[in-house]
Amino acid sequence: MVKLSELSLLPNTTLYCKVTGMDTNWAEENLQTIRTLMERSAIYRRALAPIMLFVGIVGVTAAAIGLLLPVGTLYGFLILWISAAVLALAGAFRIARRQALKDKEPFWSPPTRRVTQALVPPLAAGLCLGVLPAFFGPSEIAVAVALVWILFYGFALHAAGFFMRRGIKVFGWLFIASVCLLIYGAAAGWIDLENKAHWLMGLFFGVLHLAYGAYLYLTEKRKNAA
Amino acid sequence: MNPEPFLQLDRVIHEKGRLAIMSMLAASPELSFTELRDALAMTDGNLTTHIRALQETGYVSVAKSYQNNRPLTTCSLTAPGRKAFAEYINLLEQIVRQNKPR
Repeated sequence: MVKLSELSLLPNTTLYCKVTGMDTNWAEENLQTIRTLMERSAIYRRALAPIMLFVGIVGVTAAAIGLLLPVGTLYGFLILWISAAVLALAGAFRIARRQALKDKEPFWSPPTRRVTQALVPPLAAGLCLGVLPAFFGPSEIAVAVALVWILFYGFALHAAGFFMRRGIKVFGWLFIASVCLLIYGAAAGWIDLENKAHWLMGLFFGVLHLAYGAYLYLTEKRKNAA
Repeated sequence: MNPEPFLQLDRVIHEKGRLAIMSMLAASPELSFTELRDALAMTDGNLTTHIRALQETGYVSVAKSYQNNRPLTTCSLTAPGRKAFAEYINLLEQIVRQNKPR
């Protein structure tokens, strides 16, 4: 059997004969492998700290509004938090776009596209499942809506994490695991989630994002690229 | 079939492991050792050997730094590495073209 180290000593023609003898499509397969690897390698690398901090501020503000006004109806809850989500999304878009322009790079790069494609299905599903109860359910289910949103947001983060840094997947898992624990805790009677919808939303979309944003701010490299 | 393009293929890059590393690095400004290892499912030793070979030919540069008090090894393609990779791709495309039935 020829060792790999010996292979490099073989004359080029021998290699040529071996390869062409094996498979005439090897070059095409190699190109396909290269393409796949390059796509996998191009992960989303823009600085997430400002985006996380912005989303956290929006989340905390929305929770404060919900608790202080207070917003007690399911309609009010949905309007408040969907508005907050739209604001957070628009802000995140603006920050990412500004970073791209600053780095003189295209905003709608392949990694950005892949992250968006990963985020959209769980977010859309979460939105649909959250909005439907407004038409059919009583106002007490705001907590259930909050849990569904947190859970699906966790799914979205986890899916996007395949095209981003590893930390995002862990952050997504935190959302998913927390919702599971909260549901178990509530079912077992350890936690009382009644009328805690704004608290939950504020904690997960506000405080956790602020904490993660602060962590990223301290640890992220200054120069980033998508 | 004309063997010319095949004979010109860069032997350093024309190895499964090294080709994978070069492909990953070609699409990213830099990648950490861990990112490469995880993405390519290579062992530490295997990856180190391939990176050393690429480093010796001047295709890859390795930078060592610290992040959160932990050592961080990052790899990136050098200008000659990028050029060699582009040439390798061109040759592969030539081979594909000449293999295609007319």
